[in-house]
Amino acid sequence: MGEVIVITSGKGGVGKTTTTANIGAGLSGLGKNVMVIDTDLGLRNLDVVLGLENRIVYNIVDVIEGNCRLKQALIRDKRYPQLCLLPSAQTRDKSSVSPEQMKKLISEIRDDYDYILLDCPAGIEQGFQNAIAGADRAIVVTTPEVSAIRDADRIIGLLEASGIRRNELIINRLRIDMVKRGDMMSVDDVTEILAVDLIGVIPDDEQVVIATNQGEMVAGGDSTAGRSYMNICRRLTGEDIPIEDYMKHEGILEKISGFFRRNQEGAG
Amino acid sequence: MSVQSVQIARERLKNLLVSDRVQCTPDAVERLTKELYQTVSKYMEVEPGKIEIQITRTDIHIKYMGENH
Repeated sequence: MGEVIVITSGKGGVGKTTTTANIGAGLSGLGKNVMVIDTDLGLRNLDVVLGLENRIVYNIVDVIEGNCRLKQALIRDKRYPQLCLLPSAQTRDKSSVSPEQMKKLISEIRDDYDYILLDCPAGIEQGFQNAIAGADRAIVVTTPEVSAIRDADRIIGLLEASGIRRNELIINRLRIDMVKRGDMMSVDDVTEILAVDLIGVIPDDEQVVIATNQGEMVAGGDSTAGRSYMNICRRLTGEDIPIEDYMKHEGILEKISGFFRRNQEGAG
Repeated sequence: MSVQSVQIARERLKNLLVSDRVQCTPDAVERLTKELYQTVSKYMEVEPGKIEIQITRTDIHIKYMGENH
């Protein structure tokens, strides 16, 4: 029986959809059968990030309302043979689907996949309730900003209250240079404040923007973010891979110059 | 040297989360902490430094660090 993971955040724009797409692609690259579901009714995006927007015929509401069979709505990704997308409906609103309907849909398909990833809409209203209804566990995405972390905390509370106890955090778009000069919260700052298990850190990487422009994923490729996403996928499959220590990459020369710089600042 | 912006961010975030989690202001949390200490000290001898009150998303923990700690 497959594992059902909701990818959520509370705040919009922190990278839920990009994360869903890359983890989906990464897991399929590891030989897993993966379905990604866009649960953001009315604001369809996962298809665009995956580069599959021109192939949509039916959507999740059509499946739930019985207008088509599941197979007719699913879009297989030619680049990742074991990945398929169940797209959202662009012209329907959140109330077109109920949490019970989502649960039923997921219980019908979970045996056929190793992983089902649910891309959750921003917010804590019905769209969120629908997305978490059938989930076994959650990945909470945040960026190292006060507003995003605050919302992540709220979301973790709501997940726990709904009986989803296995919640893990991804810190997205970490700017290592800014952390080093004391202008961005570090991985330790965020995990200490949120008191939740960390499943991965994605450094800010322009390759993500470049890939998304083209409807491609960085996971599996040779970029910092791509490697970080692959490590998250491996951790999801149970491999014991330590969280990358991005602060430790300093060579001896940088350390010496950093030491002098700090001393000068202290004196000034 | 001016205060690092990350220190301000950490402080603001901690205050926000305290009030979000228990739905009261940081000021009220401070008063609650004092009153909880006073209540506990009515029944047993406690030192202020050994009592720790922690507010998480769903629980309020009162921890007393006794002789063994």
